[in-house]
Amino acid sequence: MLESLQHLASGFTIATTFYNLFYCLIGAIVGTLIGVLPGIGPIAGIALLIPATFGLHPTSAIIMLAGIYYGAMYGGSTTSILLNVPGETASVITCIDGYQMAQKGRAGPALAICAIGSFIAGTIGLFGLVFLAPPLAEAALAFGPPEYFSLMVFGFIVLSNVTGTSLTKSLMMAVVGLIIGTIGLDPVTGDARFTFGSISLLGGIEFVAVAIGLFGIAEVLTNVEKPLEMLEQRVIVPRFRELYPSLQDLKKSITAIIRGAGIGFGVGLVPGPAPVIATYASYMVEKRISKHPEEFGKGAIEGVAGPESANNSACQSAFIPLFVLGIPFAPPTAILLGALLIHGVTPGPLLIGQHPELFWGVIASMYIGNFILLILNLPLVPLFANILRVPKKILLPLIILFCITGQYTVNNSVFDIGIMLLFGALGFLMRKWAYEGAPLLLALVLGPRLEVAFRQSLMISHGDFGVFINRPISMVFLLATVLFLIIPLIRMTFKKTLKGGG
Amino acid sequence: MGGIVIFIFGAITVLLSIRMPIGTFRMAGAGLFPLCLGILLMALSGIFLLRFLFKKWQSEKKEGSPSEIPGSVMQVLFFMGAMILATLFFKILGYPLVSFLLMVALLRILGMKQWTFNISLSLITAIVSYFLFVQWLKIPLPKGWLGL
Repeated sequence: MLESLQHLASGFTIATTFYNLFYCLIGAIVGTLIGVLPGIGPIAGIALLIPATFGLHPTSAIIMLAGIYYGAMYGGSTTSILLNVPGETASVITCIDGYQMAQKGRAGPALAICAIGSFIAGTIGLFGLVFLAPPLAEAALAFGPPEYFSLMVFGFIVLSNVTGTSLTKSLMMAVVGLIIGTIGLDPVTGDARFTFGSISLLGGIEFVAVAIGLFGIAEVLTNVEKPLEMLEQRVIVPRFRELYPSLQDLKKSITAIIRGAGIGFGVGLVPGPAPVIATYASYMVEKRISKHPEEFGKGAIEGVAGPESANNSACQSAFIPLFVLGIPFAPPTAILLGALLIHGVTPGPLLIGQHPELFWGVIASMYIGNFILLILNLPLVPLFANILRVPKKILLPLIILFCITGQYTVNNSVFDIGIMLLFGALGFLMRKWAYEGAPLLLALVLGPRLEVAFRQSLMISHGDFGVFINRPISMVFLLATVLFLIIPLIRMTFKKTLKGGG
Repeated sequence: MGGIVIFIFGAITVLLSIRMPIGTFRMAGAGLFPLCLGILLMALSGIFLLRFLFKKWQSEKKEGSPSEIPGSVMQVLFFMGAMILATLFFKILGYPLVSFLLMVALLRILGMKQWTFNISLSLITAIVSYFLFVQWLKIPLPKGWLGL
């Protein structure tokens, strides 16, 4: 434990160098902007800014990209409170009571409590990360290809189970992502697969293009489809002196913040869209244990404090599986995995030992980033709210131009812009047909690793599939996978029986 | 509709995979993993389609299916068209000109009818993005006809 604290102290030394502080600040501000702007979320935002980090040291690059991630989460809540438009899916719950508070002229305290809650949750999350990551990394050294394969399958099933409305649809998307991930050179034999003679496809499909297409272009196209008059919106801009919450607000919120932080941290460790589940779970808990549940939905500050803290905490703990196992459990961390690989850093159990400056530096910077968000964003709320006044018919073309430029800079390739547009159109259709993009993106990033783990496992076992169930850790993951597949079926049968009986 | 497209995608994957070396489970060839995935996708989309058809048949027996709210699909098509054209002419015309023309087109599609405002805004955007990306960030974007 003492050793972890020493490492954390060295991390703070790295994070507080002028350059790293600067990139942390840039990440937090850009992230907040991305969160505030409709049509561009953290996934597309991080993907777009990866090229801007090419010239940076890997630690500075990841510090900036991580800053964009949690900054976007914070920015998303601003639009939820001021506009009733969630900037991110994780901010949907904040709309319920946050917007009601704004309607009653209490937008300031709602925004302030978001920032305070996020900071406290960030602090709790940080200590969890510091004390949990090193022992988990040691445990993960026992993982071989079969364990990794089973863990990734488990991740896909859980993510598919909790995203969207249909498990089958989400699973289909995951398999489509895996198939797209096989395009290019075979990682074992070097044979070209599904390239149709194209040299551009030999390196595989650029995941940044898929991310920007599915989450950036598709969102813009969804907005474009709406009638023109719906593109305009009314914005409430709070004055600076209205931002401070009262002592009673703080009293009401503090326990909700601590509970939210705990829930968020736990949920972040599990595969799936952790911030979304964490905010929902926190809101339900707060409503259930409140002495005044009737106030929820009408502007209860606990309904903002709890979910926002859970959101931030889940974002932090989501870094544990990424850093320790090298396996991201959610799309934003999948994009960060891609960024790490681009910078020549392979996350996994050996990361802490091989790149301690990166691991501890990024962790310390996350804490500093939260502090920056707290002191910088509150005074800037009126500015961000004014940005929202820019009409969408101007904003949407600007986002498109930014996406095209950003995509070109990744590989200086027009072909990649084409791929981005193709996935943009696909993402638009997927939204229309209610298919989730998250499993596809995660499968695309993890696909090549899954295939290598699958083939290596079968090589070790001489083609015997028993290797996946004979090894205890792998068996546990597969059993959990089966459970996650069976539970919805049992629930459905139970509901049908109840209906029949009723 | 989505289910059918995905089923066809799975079938094409299977067809293309069997043209590659399959190998054995012990020594898998390049085609084995995509082949397994293609079969799995066909199975999943098959289940989905069957369930969808069964549900549709049941709901038709009860009442007609609700009609979808029509959106401005033409606007989306024009938007996509403008982006595709911009991509095709990206290298030929160069970044500054393409960014200007794309902005003009997209603003017009989204109902910016005043040409003076549209052109001024597009010009400002093109100039600012040129200085930001090309001059400041030193990104080698295509120069095209203008040679900028």
